[in-house]
Amino acid sequence: MDDIQNSNPTVLPSSDLPSRRPASPTTHHPSRGTGLFDSLVPAYGYPYDPFLPKSPSASSDDEDDDEIPDPIDAQEIYDLISTITDPEHPLSLGSLSVVNLPDITIIPPSSPASRISTVQVLLTPTVTHCGLATVIGLGVRVRLERALPPRFRIDVRIKPGTHSTAEQVSRQLGDKERVAAAVENATLMAMLKKMLEGCD
Amino acid sequence: MSDVQLYLFEFDRNPKEAAQIAGQAAKRLETKELKLIALIESLGEYLNSDDTGIRSKTMAFVADVLSLTPPRVLSIQQRNLLCDFILSRISDDNAGIGSATKALHGLEDKGQWDQIRASTIMQVILDHTSPLSQYRQQSDRYQVLLLIDLLMAEYRDAVHDLHTSSSDFLPKFVAYFDGEKDPRNLMVVFSILKVVMTEWDISANAQELFDSAFNYFPITFRPPPDDPYGITAQDLKDRLRACIAATASFAPYAFPALLDKLDSTSLNTKRDVVHALRSCVENYGPRAVNLYSVTLWDALKFEILHAQEDDLIEGTLQVLSEISHQLAKSTSDVLITYLKPIAKECNEHLEDTPTKQSQAATQILKSIASSCPEASNFLLSTVLPHIFVLYQTSDTTAKRRGLVDTLVQLFRANVSVFGEWRSLGTSARLVDGEIPQPSAVSNGLLKYSTQTLETLTSGLAAMPVKEVSFRLTLLDALLQLTRVRELLVDDEIARVINLFNQIVLSEESYGRDEVKAAAINALLEIAHQKPQLIIDHSFPAFLGKLPDKDSEGPEKYVPVLEAFAKLGCEDKVFPTVVLRLKNKLNAAIQQNSSGTYICAILSALLFTFSRDSLKLDGHPKYCPYLEDLLIPLTKRICTDFQSDNQVDTVFYLLGRLHNVILRQQSSELQKTLSAETYRLFLGDSVTEGIPLRTDSVDSQSHRLIVTTYLLAAWRKDVPLPHDDSVVLPALTKLSSNEEISVGTKVAILQQISLIVNKFVPKSDLKRILDPILYEPLNIASGNINGSTIRIAFALFKALVLRSANEFEAIFTSLCSALSNPEHGRSVGHGFSTLLQPDEILTKENHCTISPIHRQRMFTVVVPAFNEGFRNADPAAKTNYLVALSGILRWLPYSFWEQDIQALSPLLLQTLDIAGEEDVKAGTIDTLATILAENPKAVEEHAGSLISRLLNNSSSKSNPPKVRAKALHCLSLIPTQVRRELVVPFRKQVVKRLTEALDDGKRVVRVEAVKCRSKWTNLDEAGDEDD
Repeated sequence: MDDIQNSNPTVLPSSDLPSRRPASPTTHHPSRGTGLFDSLVPAYGYPYDPFLPKSPSASSDDEDDDEIPDPIDAQEIYDLISTITDPEHPLSLGSLSVVNLPDITIIPPSSPASRISTVQVLLTPTVTHCGLATVIGLGVRVRLERALPPRFRIDVRIKPGTHSTAEQVSRQLGDKERVAAAVENATLMAMLKKMLEGCD
Repeated sequence: MSDVQLYLFEFDRNPKEAAQIAGQAAKRLETKELKLIALIESLGEYLNSDDTGIRSKTMAFVADVLSLTPPRVLSIQQRNLLCDFILSRISDDNAGIGSATKALHGLEDKGQWDQIRASTIMQVILDHTSPLSQYRQQSDRYQVLLLIDLLMAEYRDAVHDLHTSSSDFLPKFVAYFDGEKDPRNLMVVFSILKVVMTEWDISANAQELFDSAFNYFPITFRPPPDDPYGITAQDLKDRLRACIAATASFAPYAFPALLDKLDSTSLNTKRDVVHALRSCVENYGPRAVNLYSVTLWDALKFEILHAQEDDLIEGTLQVLSEISHQLAKSTSDVLITYLKPIAKECNEHLEDTPTKQSQAATQILKSIASSCPEASNFLLSTVLPHIFVLYQTSDTTAKRRGLVDTLVQLFRANVSVFGEWRSLGTSARLVDGEIPQPSAVSNGLLKYSTQTLETLTSGLAAMPVKEVSFRLTLLDALLQLTRVRELLVDDEIARVINLFNQIVLSEESYGRDEVKAAAINALLEIAHQKPQLIIDHSFPAFLGKLPDKDSEGPEKYVPVLEAFAKLGCEDKVFPTVVLRLKNKLNAAIQQNSSGTYICAILSALLFTFSRDSLKLDGHPKYCPYLEDLLIPLTKRICTDFQSDNQVDTVFYLLGRLHNVILRQQSSELQKTLSAETYRLFLGDSVTEGIPLRTDSVDSQSHRLIVTTYLLAAWRKDVPLPHDDSVVLPALTKLSSNEEISVGTKVAILQQISLIVNKFVPKSDLKRILDPILYEPLNIASGNINGSTIRIAFALFKALVLRSANEFEAIFTSLCSALSNPEHGRSVGHGFSTLLQPDEILTKENHCTISPIHRQRMFTVVVPAFNEGFRNADPAAKTNYLVALSGILRWLPYSFWEQDIQALSPLLLQTLDIAGEEDVKAGTIDTLATILAENPKAVEEHAGSLISRLLNNSSSKSNPPKVRAKALHCLSLIPTQVRRELVVPFRKQVVKRLTEALDDGKRVVRVEAVKCRSKWTNLDEAGDEDD
């Protein structure tokens, strides 16, 4: 425990972390309220009738309507990586502000013919000399490679000015061969596995 | 041969036989055939043997004979003689020490010793057998320890006299137990030592005595598997801890030694230290604790500031709080000496709020401030001014939020010490064991209450709505402040209430409206503490927001109604909430408001009546809500309400209200109301209208929905207003009337189910069933159509639930109807209605629910489906699968566990049915249950299961819900099914899941990510094995 590089990091409360909020529940919910009275109508009782074919209007829920797609956005990327555990503390990258929503960008395909989009993530290490920045970056990269469809290119960097060797670390993270070699390293993989444990 | 000779002969060969020989000798002693002197003389030769084995076995013989000799056989002289004899053996010869002490124990059973005898025995044991560890046999040592334990328990004064009369007794006594290692023996040693430690003056030998126990710290014993003695490490730890904490004389040794062990790297040792420290602080008392209070704080704070485990933090906080609790019993100087450095350090950490350590400081403050009024007051006086300065000068909301969070914790601590309005805190003392008296110490928070209230209210009012977490914390702080007993005056609380009202009623909606929800809950809590203030200040504000006639949309009134209804959850304001809602409903009907508005108000009323804690069964003959609420309301709705607004939902909610209030009433009261089941309290003008007049259908048919709920409310012994032979045919006919609304139709069918389940005696069931199966409905002969299917299932369900044999007749007809080309599918769907949770046919509604109905249903239905499926046309096969899935999805796993082999292939085929999303969703749930409970059952189908789930997860014809469910089910496979069976599919699954990762709907992608990571990790697990 002696080699902890930042023993007293700033911690954000979970309610302050960005999350997907509906525009307004009162306009969203069919009753125009918060749905408090919904429990009064049992899910399987009246007026559910198994003999009638379900009318399309019955399910007004957006979640069940394929007509309205939810595209992959920055918040979704944030949700995927903010739950990764910091290798030093039992805290998430989100609550330590290593991962921040404004630092996630999705760059759409450069030409109409291409399907390839790019996800760019800028990381903010908790201290400028954090030696674990590369490991954190690798964790984010591996998580995104597993969780995103192949039409996304993944670009993980250290936010300029937040780390003494930001450029060097960013270059390492961008180097495909080095990343591939790192993933073969058993000690490193065990560390990554521990970091990613909390993600499911 | 003498007894002892025989005994020695049998001792090793046959212990049972040996015991019998000893028993015979005991018997002969009793009958005086054998003289005690002769017995002892016969031992002589063996006691002088050169073989220690023989000598110790001879002592075993003595012990056995003595323990088997009945009481009163031996005279006091004989017992004294024996005692002297055994003691002389102990002093001369160490062989058979266990048996010798056991024999002494046996003698004591026959008659108490005098004090001199007891101290002689103690003396002899100490003089001739020390140290105890010289005896190799655990059982020998154990016997000695039991004897000493007996002396300590029964001859305490005698042993104590030894100690007071000789200063070197205690060192010898302590040294005697040195080196004991067996857990069974240690349990006894610790309890012997504890007596010495707590009861004797040990000041001269405190350190030796302390070391004799502390040498065993920490206990690392782990009981062997199947330990026959059942001693756990915890037992040992508890006894050892009691020794360490036994006397304040240990304080100079215990605190340094324990703090030294606190530096251990083992978390378990740390846990033991923290537990032991807590016991020590509790037992040593303020004088001893005072000397070490600051030392303890300096060491313990690291366990909280650099936390490792939650339980360790919790335990450490308890020690800190206990120190303060103890010191409060002494002078205030002593307490303040302890608290000063704590307050100083916490203040320093609070300056960097919010950090890990500022959170730890908050925890420390809370826990110590909860310990006693004095500590609470001191910490408030040192920390609050500091927090206020930091708050005023801080530039970020994050910091302010952290500081207010510290306030919240301090206020909570304050409530626990000084109490809330409705209950006294821990500082209250019970006078005469009965009447609680508030604490003599006044609350130090009073001095700061105005400043705090000012800061918090202005902060909350001024903060923009998007600062959710900060506003939540401010709101919580205000709420805690209003809870503190006798802190704020009514006007101040009213200010807080008005601020909360404003948040609930006037503020724009933002995000998930967490602040509004918290404000409502806060009002509810204040209603619990100060009901009248809520009635005076919140109610007018809420009702002012509710129009008499709704000219605007529901978004204007539904949130207000929801909040208002929630306030009704507090018993003290419940009657007022009901009254105001009733008046509002009357006004709304008078003003011709819309059906939607009426429904919203009715929902609010129903909500207030629906909470579990509400007791509605009161007087056996009188129900206040009947006269005051239900009857006038029903009249209003049925007669004054515009008929084009009379939608199903209004009557549904009205019916539910009747049901929830009336079903708890006595049958005596219910019997007087039974005649109103169809009249609905509307007077004679409308009697007998519905359903008996089936020729014409008018707007009044909706009222049958209310009737259904009244029928559901009646107890079994309440008579029906009309004979079932009249009502049932009428209802049957009415249910196929095309002009009736869907809701009413469902209610009519529910009435049929209710009557058949609850009110028809078993002997009459056939009479009821015949007109359905045969003339005039003829379901048995194949008269299947939309309306007869419903009637059949309504009856079927009623019979299934009461487990009546008659259900089989209906089942046969319905099962063969599954192959009906036109209606077979509908029949298949009908089966899912049978076991699904039902709102009407429940125990609460006094229905007959047989405890075995599901088993009976299962054993009849499933084999029939299985066979039907095999013999059916290809087109009709799916109907059987639909029906089966409809049954299985509502049955707990244990019911079909036995048949899993036969069912699995059918379930898998169900996944291929197109266009039946609901059936598929149910089937996937069923498969997920199998995977969780008994994955072996689907092992042989693993490949087909995986590919079907993959297909369902990517097929766009499935709704997102089914795709997500399929992925969830698929994610169970890697951890549940045997590895070697799954690994071959890994590559394929991981590859195909990339498609789901790009699904259009987020709910599906979330499941896909989880599922893919489970399958990917399958590989990593494999690497570790290699």
